[in-house]
Amino acid sequence: MKANILSSTVLLAILSVAGCKSGGAAEGGAAADDGSVSLLDPAGDDNGPGTYVYPTDQVYKKGAFDLRSLEVVPVGNDIEFRVKVEGRIEDPWDSKAWGGNGFSVQMAFIHIDMDHAPGSGVQVGLTGTNVRFAPEEAWDKVVIISPQGPTRVNSEVDQKAADYKANVIVPKITRASGKTLIAVVGKEQLGSMPAKGWGYQVLMQSNEGFPTKTDLLTRKVNEFEGQHRFGGGTDFDNDPQVIDILMPPAKGTAAEADAQHAALSKYNKESTGTIEDGTIKPEDWAVVPMVYPGQ
Amino acid sequence: MRRAQRSWIRWLVILGASGMAPEALADTANFELSGKIYTKWLYKNDDTRGCLSLSNPFWQDNIGGGNGVCSEFQLDIKGRVSKYVVTGVRVKSRFGALWQDWWENGDIRWDFPNDTKFWENTSGESLGQNHAAYMKLRGAYIRAALPIPTVRWVHFGASDFGMFNEWTIGKSRYIDRDNGNGVFFEGDIGDGLLKYHTAAVALPKLYVGPRWNTGLKDADPLAGFWGADWAYAAKLSSSPTSDLNVALVGVYINDWEADKNDPDKLGDTDNADHAIDLEPRFQAVNSTLEAQYSPSALEWLSINGLFAMAYNRVNHDYATNAVANDQGFSPIVYLLDADGNPKGATGAAGTLRVELYDPLEIGLSAKFEYFNIGQHFNAIFGARRESDVLLTDGFLATGFISGGQLPTLNLANEFVDFDEPWFESIIGWHGGTGVLEYVWGGLKANAEYSFITYNTNMQGRDVDNQYPDFLYTDGFTDVQAFTADKDYANIYDRGRDARSVYAEYKDRRSHIAVLNGDYLLPFGTNFVVKTKLKWIHDTDKRNNVVDGSEAPYCLRESFTTGEEVRRADCDDYKGDLYLAFLGASYQLTDELKAGLGYEFQYWDEINRSGNQDAGFRDYKTKKHTARLTTSYNFGGLTFSYLLEYLHKDQDRDAELPGTFDQHWRVWRSKATVEAGW
Repeated sequence: MKANILSSTVLLAILSVAGCKSGGAAEGGAAADDGSVSLLDPAGDDNGPGTYVYPTDQVYKKGAFDLRSLEVVPVGNDIEFRVKVEGRIEDPWDSKAWGGNGFSVQMAFIHIDMDHAPGSGVQVGLTGTNVRFAPEEAWDKVVIISPQGPTRVNSEVDQKAADYKANVIVPKITRASGKTLIAVVGKEQLGSMPAKGWGYQVLMQSNEGFPTKTDLLTRKVNEFEGQHRFGGGTDFDNDPQVIDILMPPAKGTAAEADAQHAALSKYNKESTGTIEDGTIKPEDWAVVPMVYPGQ
Repeated sequence: MRRAQRSWIRWLVILGASGMAPEALADTANFELSGKIYTKWLYKNDDTRGCLSLSNPFWQDNIGGGNGVCSEFQLDIKGRVSKYVVTGVRVKSRFGALWQDWWENGDIRWDFPNDTKFWENTSGESLGQNHAAYMKLRGAYIRAALPIPTVRWVHFGASDFGMFNEWTIGKSRYIDRDNGNGVFFEGDIGDGLLKYHTAAVALPKLYVGPRWNTGLKDADPLAGFWGADWAYAAKLSSSPTSDLNVALVGVYINDWEADKNDPDKLGDTDNADHAIDLEPRFQAVNSTLEAQYSPSALEWLSINGLFAMAYNRVNHDYATNAVANDQGFSPIVYLLDADGNPKGATGAAGTLRVELYDPLEIGLSAKFEYFNIGQHFNAIFGARRESDVLLTDGFLATGFISGGQLPTLNLANEFVDFDEPWFESIIGWHGGTGVLEYVWGGLKANAEYSFITYNTNMQGRDVDNQYPDFLYTDGFTDVQAFTADKDYANIYDRGRDARSVYAEYKDRRSHIAVLNGDYLLPFGTNFVVKTKLKWIHDTDKRNNVVDGSEAPYCLRESFTTGEEVRRADCDDYKGDLYLAFLGASYQLTDELKAGLGYEFQYWDEINRSGNQDAGFRDYKTKKHTARLTTSYNFGGLTFSYLLEYLHKDQDRDAELPGTFDQHWRVWRSKATVEAGW
């Protein structure tokens, strides 16, 4: 009898906690009153414009970069960003040994448009992504979910994204659990708690510990895949270096995969060269949309 | 006249050639250069000299030591010959030259007329190439997308073997990642339905074979031919449905030697045919079948199963028996049949892992794993470190030092610094692990329980001729007490060798319980507190044979009859390890982070070290470890610093002769600075 009471109490406690924590935005729907958001992305579209393939090393396991959802959850004075992928998140490079966050190969940039107003924010995606946003969807903040420790990420931002460092948020803590990357961001970092009307875009990338000057810890996409390089793009800086993104209305339908392929295919294929030598300009890059929940 | 004519012709040729030739500018756009400088300071309160805490424990390299500063430079070059062909080269300086090593040029000086080496002399050029910082070609490859049906890439040259797995050909450890070479084909059949990798890999002349070589004449007088030793591997992988991934990997390893009875080898000119037959010295087969099922209908569920087979065969005519001749230090079993004839060792292994990723959406995940590794399983070419095949925290991991488990006797815990991870062999492990993990907001916590019994449990195992025991089979392993000097002899009583899985008498079972937690404090900047609690209960009944002659220490006077009787538990081992760790890290500025940690360990071990003849001693060990860490990144420069104090008291049972207590009061530090461009 005592055992029954105990187990009922434990179950009740678990369900209560579950009830508290799963409340909020409906999946793929509008933001809740507290600003929480849940956006979905279809499985199997971790191929950028439809042609990208993973590097050949076995650490890049199937589904590792296949974005499935973004959750934005206010917790007290913090905001938790949860990016879920299709594959189990592993730590094959023992990130703890280099001051990392418990995972190795994934990286996600969460771009946030807080005002949906033309002329405000940054149009180009974070350095190394080779995408841009429409003027009215320019981003105001970006949260970097990286396996690298905060000092390394901050140093990279100083070097490669100094012009908009004030817009870049390195989370207070970054973790991995199961298939989910979790970043805890303070309200003071974001400027305010999340609100209705904000737009989000997750650019799924891979952590590169030895990036080039024009890559903010991002892994390159080449024409042919290599042991540690994605394939299916070009050897120049014109192709989008993102493996998966959200597409409106972010309900996870197959049509969104097609829309992603179409959007990411629209880059200037005639332009060859690098961003560094000036032969590639942001106008050559594909435009990715913001997702405004409920709109 | 003729000379003038020649001159005109030469000028015409030059002009013509220059008119026809393309521009001779380097195609720098397709020529990637990157470099890196890495410097390490290692300091410790002893008098060892070097920049590597633990080098080769057998042949002590003169780079191993706790006091010194060393730098290295590496240059990576990647070329894009065409859209179908890419190349890569890594050139790197030899690590080990101290900043104090002025004028070292690798020229070991010789004494005249005695013709003996001057190991240390006044010339400054006496320590050999280890201290000369010479640039070495570390790896070179060509990778081509050749127009062969189904083939995507052909790769010639250096590889880290990252395409296979820990149970077959493991990914090379970080410092060896360019050392391996081979020819690799990768492609797919049926529009990606079936992917394949094939490889012919040049066997490293060191480590993949008996006595850690494939036939070095000086190391093994029976053999000295390694130029034709290869491993052949294939991997097939497929995703027949979006929920299921399957991979099959197989490798065959063959170490050839010249037939020592061949007439050409014996100088038998009458029967010579100017060709020499070959005989295998060592052969091995490893294979795995692995499946991962992640049902899309239950996206919180993942099931992973792996089945592995291993076969090792040593040709005793060509390989010295290291178990018999090297005090049991061998990466291979020298198995004999009932008649005493050599036979191959066959072993199987399997793991099954079920993971539930937050099914209730309350931040609570669960993982369960069953593992069963056969007593004769051995992945001789498998991963040696920097990988982990089991869920458990294992025996070696502490709060400061991480650890991993690998299915091989061929582990590599050498050429590391005192702060690096350790790896243990899981050959014979049979048991299960359950882990609960809770993540929400600033809190992450997990709890583990593992139970392990051992397929290597056996009475009267032949550790004299067949099974390697690495000499040190007893007690918890102290990964902090390994040193750069005299380590091979274990003179500091550091406990069980991490590779030791066999013992003459073994009846062991173990329980491991771990609690981990880290919490982001709601004040300060990225102020994170971490804690770890660990308990290991390890028992080994050792010799269960009651009959036979008894060692004197096993006998006691019967309380009732007054006769001498055997204590039933006289050699039984019982060890309890208690560990408590607390650490905190703080982000002082965007670029500067600092951490502080403390760890306490208490080991209570009954009958830890000794043998059935001389008796076993009880140990009580207390360890206090404190660490200060900082890391700083600015403008592409990365700096790190670690200061550690180890305070250890090892109280050994003084009732038996030859025992004495040991103490450690060790300060040591490691700083690194690096920049890449």
